[in-house]
Amino acid sequence: MWIWADVSPEGVASSALELLTKARAIGKDVGAVALGPGASGAVDQLGEHGAARVYTSDDQRFAEPTSRVAAHTLGALVAEHSTGVVLFPSSYRGRDVAGRLQAITGSTLMANAVDLPSIDRARAEILGGTTIVEVDLAGPAPHLVLMRPRSFEPEAVGGTADVVPVDVVEPPGGAAVVQVLERTEAASDGPTLEGAKVVLAGGRGLGGPDGFRLLQELGDAIGDTAIGASRAAVDAGWVPYAMQIGQTGSTVKPEVYIAAGISGALQHAVGMKGSRRIVAITKDPEAPILQLADLGVVGDLFQVLPALTEEVRRRTGR
Amino acid sequence: MAVALAWRRASPRIATLRAARPDDPERGGPITERAARELVEVVGQRKLFQRLMPGMMHAAIFWGFVVLLPTIAEAAVAVVDRGAHLPLIGDSTWFAWLVDLFAVAVLAGVIIAISIRKVQRPDRFRGSHLEEADRILLMITAIVISLLLWQATRIALGLTDAEGPVSGWIAGFLDGASTGALEAAERVLVWAHLLLVLAFLVYLPGSKHLHIVTAAPNVWLRKSGPGGRLEPLRIDLEASEEDLRLGAAVATDLTRKQTLDLFSCTECGRCQDVCPAWATGKPLSPKLLVMDLRDHVAGTAGPVGEVELQPLVPNAVTDEVVWDCVTCGACVRECPVDIEHVDTIVDLRRNLVMAESRFPSEAGALLRGVEGPGENPWGQPASARMDWADGLDVRVLAPGDAAPDVLFWVGCAGAFDERAREATRSTVRLLQAAGVDVAVLGQRESCTGDPARRMGHEFLFQTLAERNVSTLNDAGVTTIVASCAHCFNTLANEYPDYGGTYEVVHHSEFLARLVREGGLHPSRDSVAVTYHDACYLGRHNGNYDSPRDVLRATTDEIAEMPRNRERSFCCGAGGARFWMEEGGDARINDTRYAEAASTGADVVATACPFCLVMLDDASGAAGRGPEVADVATLLARSALRDG
Repeated sequence: MWIWADVSPEGVASSALELLTKARAIGKDVGAVALGPGASGAVDQLGEHGAARVYTSDDQRFAEPTSRVAAHTLGALVAEHSTGVVLFPSSYRGRDVAGRLQAITGSTLMANAVDLPSIDRARAEILGGTTIVEVDLAGPAPHLVLMRPRSFEPEAVGGTADVVPVDVVEPPGGAAVVQVLERTEAASDGPTLEGAKVVLAGGRGLGGPDGFRLLQELGDAIGDTAIGASRAAVDAGWVPYAMQIGQTGSTVKPEVYIAAGISGALQHAVGMKGSRRIVAITKDPEAPILQLADLGVVGDLFQVLPALTEEVRRRTGR
Repeated sequence: MAVALAWRRASPRIATLRAARPDDPERGGPITERAARELVEVVGQRKLFQRLMPGMMHAAIFWGFVVLLPTIAEAAVAVVDRGAHLPLIGDSTWFAWLVDLFAVAVLAGVIIAISIRKVQRPDRFRGSHLEEADRILLMITAIVISLLLWQATRIALGLTDAEGPVSGWIAGFLDGASTGALEAAERVLVWAHLLLVLAFLVYLPGSKHLHIVTAAPNVWLRKSGPGGRLEPLRIDLEASEEDLRLGAAVATDLTRKQTLDLFSCTECGRCQDVCPAWATGKPLSPKLLVMDLRDHVAGTAGPVGEVELQPLVPNAVTDEVVWDCVTCGACVRECPVDIEHVDTIVDLRRNLVMAESRFPSEAGALLRGVEGPGENPWGQPASARMDWADGLDVRVLAPGDAAPDVLFWVGCAGAFDERAREATRSTVRLLQAAGVDVAVLGQRESCTGDPARRMGHEFLFQTLAERNVSTLNDAGVTTIVASCAHCFNTLANEYPDYGGTYEVVHHSEFLARLVREGGLHPSRDSVAVTYHDACYLGRHNGNYDSPRDVLRATTDEIAEMPRNRERSFCCGAGGARFWMEEGGDARINDTRYAEAASTGADVVATACPFCLVMLDDASGAAGRGPEVADVATLLARSALRDG
């Protein structure tokens, strides 16, 4: 059983460690495939999390926008080793490689899985998360499974991995069919809305751009937070569109979501209802957000927020 | 020679029309209906008279030219033989009077036209070819004046006994002139007149004035029936790639009617004047869209078949223009020559969405939600579809159950949106209070497909329509009540194309009927209410009265907004815009809400959940102003005293 590790010069993605933790629980002889710049630097961490071998290459061609080279190389590897199962994270790269590999090998692909009870069974949520189904992994090998992120908690076991260097397999027609003309990256400080463990979001109730300063102070006190907003606050011009959470903005699923002055209209709710814990602060006892919230505070947020910030500072010492 | 030249100038446009796809031959409706349309809209100039002064101006010129047409033949004959006359009318006094009167009418029309263009200068002309209009007005003036002068010389020479008041009056000034001079003047004038007419003929085909030829056929080919119905684009996945049409990508993908639309535009800008997108500072103007498409298909693109066709988007019109449209239909209703802008825009979207997967990224969630397991634009789980009914005793139709008298189609907004749910609950409580045998489909209901269709995802719409029709047919449903104007339009006008024909009644109409027939007994108070017409109930389906009837049963005071009924201004939600971000200088919903607030009303009544949410959002943004509520909510307040 193998796992696909997303790597970059910045390090290995936590999804790889999650997949390894699961893989070693149900399979023996777990291998990790790490291709692209940063791969060799990831070997130690992959070993610590249970990879017995790491198939690795730092070749630049694996970092191309399309994953053709990676998919063909991995195809050659799984054929050589008769690998039975490969787990992929549901990341951009993971989906691209898995999809292409399935087409190359004519094997079986299970997408959007949330658990793997055994080596030949996958579990998925369907019908909007209301129904859980278990799927037998039959069909031609290797069985490729795309796992949803954060399905497992990564756990280190402290092993070391053997390094197996990988040769690049050029796809038919050569490597680069896509030419990168330009690359722009969105500037950001702190965690992204999608990646933050704690998201603080403000709405019309904040009364203006100044209200968001209160949120920012609370965020600084908590640490590792991102600030978001409802469409009402964005439309009012208080904060930029990049901060919008909801139907026509970002979808977030943090550990803790704190909504301040947000009524919780459907447009907003669809972008945050997957959060693990929801705290709502609003002065309107009828606000729909209170139906979604695990903890609802009905009160004046200009009193509640500073008080909360002070209490968090007292406890964290920030 | 003039005819040959005119033909040559027309040939690129004729070639473009020939290369266009044929339309559904039935789309114009029965011959009698089309003929009636010609009478009312072309002869009667109905849509032009929607604006009084410009309407009179145009009618004077149009009717004038119709009457003056035989004089061209008269002049053509007279060029050869100066004494010759047309039979019947050529030498008759009554026709001479008619000619003179209408010639003056045309000149008066030209003066009004010039004063509109030069003095009044309305904003609707922004982007139009003003110099071209000046040239045409000048030519019309020259043609009419040369006609009058020629007639005068003929009278003075005794070539005709028929004397009109104006030409006769001019002839009075020629009394002293020598016969030789008069004869020479007569020759010059008849030739000048005829050459001007021929020059006009040559000028015509490449100009916006071509509408004098294309307007009548364009009206003839216009879609019959409710404007809200889009024509199906059947998508058969088994079809070969050449046969698979996914909307309009290039010029030859447009239908004949869509192409003729482009050649019929006079750049009058009435559409631009009423367009909510243009009014709020977006780049879309229906007029500029038509002009840009026209210039692309007939001008720069060259003769069809000889050049490689460029995609219409973004070469003729930009992506943003295509996505700004709310499909409210104000432009179509306004257009004097029956251009159907919305259908063309949707056809452009179809290609962008289905062939290129190119649309505003934030709308992806809408498509995923409708395609997904919950089958609703917000991606909510199907299990939450009946949450609105908590605490109510609502019959959910199970497979195999006897069909109810009335099936209430809840709609996704009515099922999932907190604010729209209130209208849903009110409607059901009112129906139950009136003793109506009503049931809902519960989790078997899914999105009608309206937002997907207006966004251009015809295949997704087709899938949903086929399945919903099969559910409704299997359940034996005959009458459907819908509280969403979009669901109503789709169920009533578009599902028949997919085998689902029901009596579909909008909730406002059903409730108005219950009040009228004594099933409900509301008490009236004096809360001032203004009603916002939903495009898909009003303009697209012609129902302006039912919501007002419901309101009149609850209050004595109904204030109308400046733009109401067929001229209502959209809330900004249509055409799947509800699920997209809005650019421009202002938001459409804020603009409309401010208009509603300006009436001084305490309540803005709506009859569609999307209008409700859009205007309520605007109310929140404004921070103060009238409450926004559905007509059913207001009726429930006054007719159901228990709460």
